Amino acid sequence: MAAQRQASSASQTPHLSPAELSYLYTSLSLPKTPIRPDGRSTTQFRPLTAESNILPGTNGSARIGFADGTQAVVGVKAEVEKTTVAADTLDARGLFQQQESPAAAAGDREAQEGLGSAAVSGHGSWVQMSIEIPGFRDDDALPVFLSEMLRESLVGAVSGSGGEDMAGGLKGRLVINKRWHWRLYIDVLLLSQPLSYPLPLLSLTTHLALLSTKLPKLKSQGEEDPLFDDDWAAAQYLYPRSAPGSTAPVTTSQQVRPPVTLLVISVADNVIFDPTREEIAVADAVLAISVARDGGHDGLKLLSIRTIDPPSRLTQPGVPNSENVNMLANATSVDDSAAGGATAVNLATGDEEVSGVWRPRRGGAKRSVLARMVKTVLRKGGVGEEVLEGLEGVEVE
Amino acid sequence: MPLDTSTTYPLTRLRLDGRRWNELRLLQAQISTNPASSGSSYLSMGNTAIMCSVHGPAEGRRGEGSGSAGSSGAVVDVDVNVAGFAGVDRKRRAGGSDRKSTRIATTLRSAFQSHLHTYLYPHSTISIHVSVLSADGSLLAAAINACTLALVDAGIPMPGLLCGCTAGMSGSASTPRDPRHDELDPLLDLSLPEEQELPSLTVGTTTLVPVGEDHMDDEEGETKVVVLTMDSKLHCTYMDTMLAVGVDGCNQIRELLEGVVKGK
Repeated sequence: MAAQRQASSASQTPHLSPAELSYLYTSLSLPKTPIRPDGRSTTQFRPLTAESNILPGTNGSARIGFADGTQAVVGVKAEVEKTTVAADTLDARGLFQQQESPAAAAGDREAQEGLGSAAVSGHGSWVQMSIEIPGFRDDDALPVFLSEMLRESLVGAVSGSGGEDMAGGLKGRLVINKRWHWRLYIDVLLLSQPLSYPLPLLSLTTHLALLSTKLPKLKSQGEEDPLFDDDWAAAQYLYPRSAPGSTAPVTTSQQVRPPVTLLVISVADNVIFDPTREEIAVADAVLAISVARDGGHDGLKLLSIRTIDPPSRLTQPGVPNSENVNMLANATSVDDSAAGGATAVNLATGDEEVSGVWRPRRGGAKRSVLARMVKTVLRKGGVGEEVLEGLEGVEVE
Repeated sequence: MPLDTSTTYPLTRLRLDGRRWNELRLLQAQISTNPASSGSSYLSMGNTAIMCSVHGPAEGRRGEGSGSAGSSGAVVDVDVNVAGFAGVDRKRRAGGSDRKSTRIATTLRSAFQSHLHTYLYPHSTISIHVSVLSADGSLLAAAINACTLALVDAGIPMPGLLCGCTAGMSGSASTPRDPRHDELDPLLDLSLPEEQELPSLTVGTTTLVPVGEDHMDDEEGETKVVVLTMDSKLHCTYMDTMLAVGVDGCNQIRELLEGVVKGK
């Protein structure tokens, strides 16, 4: 049961004493210049090794290894599937299009109505994601939660104007014609026990695998049954890439890119990126921020912010001297009234901060801290762009 | 596409991927690929790719009742995971493991439980995690080789490298062998299309004494078959040929793995 509870929380809490937790919290919450245990700056990521296109049997694949030894392999497989027409395939984008279309095209629309709007704009269920973590079953809380979190931002990234190829985001890209579509299977394999919360690792690896994903070139046209080019060299990237050396009108900073989900924690007023397990253990709030480049304009688009249950609330509290029974006995003998008053306050409210004594965090972050988190990610030349550029640099050929 | 080996092979004597009967696929391997584990390896035989990591010997998990079982020596625990993207079609697995991976895990466990010097580590568990990234035949053999490398990397003592290889027989070898019209040939290291079509066996051998630099050629015969599994039917007259080919393949693989371990 305890293992279950920890699994659903941000990660297994390391065995740190209240004194250690308090020390860590104090050094991380130093105003302006927090000191991290590994000496990184607040926005610095841990070093990682990455390679893509490692598996010849997949449409796209990638491997990322963090320096602490956690590794993930992602394989993307695509299959052609017949689009089934169902009443519930209406999604937000389909409705949006209907509202926009003028009444003049009503007759035309009614003919299409039978095919369902999913045939036009794609459907979220066409992307399937499964995460394999050693020591966890497929239906455990952590893998299910993680895969849904990653999938959600992936299919949610709908762009207005990303060139004709990427209209409608990933969902739109999967449409072949009104009767056929691609189904994308994204399988994530974590190769070692998660040492820290595996979300950033899985997200970065998935991003890299999707960047390297290719779909065979379509030879048939329009509403014919799809026929594909045998030549794998002619295959097209799922997320279009600019050819090296060519001066395409679309620059790298405007291309549609799959989302990345970054893990950010707040400690007091400080915002810290890529936290280690120990840092998560003292965090006030743990947030997963998904950003993507949607191609419409320069810069990044915020897709989602999710709070993650911080494990710091499960830690053991430290006991201040004023509450310590042994000390209390000594204190009462000396000064009865003063010591008694102090304990009453602490026991009643429970949030009296005694410097140097660890109190389990109860979550929550100030508005200004949240705003700064988002700003640091989205800013031009900020953390989000830095991460995307780094991943773009991984050689795909 | 000429998938039918039985019609083209007697004419060309070349297999689907262009190999001759006694040729191994390209074998590439690395050790110490994952710093977070005690020992780890990556091995690819042709298009079959396997990652393996070893944890331990470490204290076994409590509440498993392995206290009495592990009192005389370490318990080997094997976990095989075939990735959804490993095959040609993406497989949906229900409940986390299927029959094939469970079988491979059981075979690996019993092979390494008896092969390793487990008596050196009483009350402990050696857990092996095998991830199949890409499956193209000879899965068990590749898994044996990957595990051996990872265990060597973890520094767990064993009498010799345990190497696995597959051998098959071309054509449908269900009738007794005819010495005058011997049209069926053994094949070494089968790929997936061959494995699906032809009878095949997996053999794993080890050397009785560690083969050092001063080993002599007459010790070459000092190999012992540790693993032998066969799923398909075959007339018993072909058995010895296939076994001989398989054991020969194991010896070739052993040389390659030794090269990897010694960092050539």
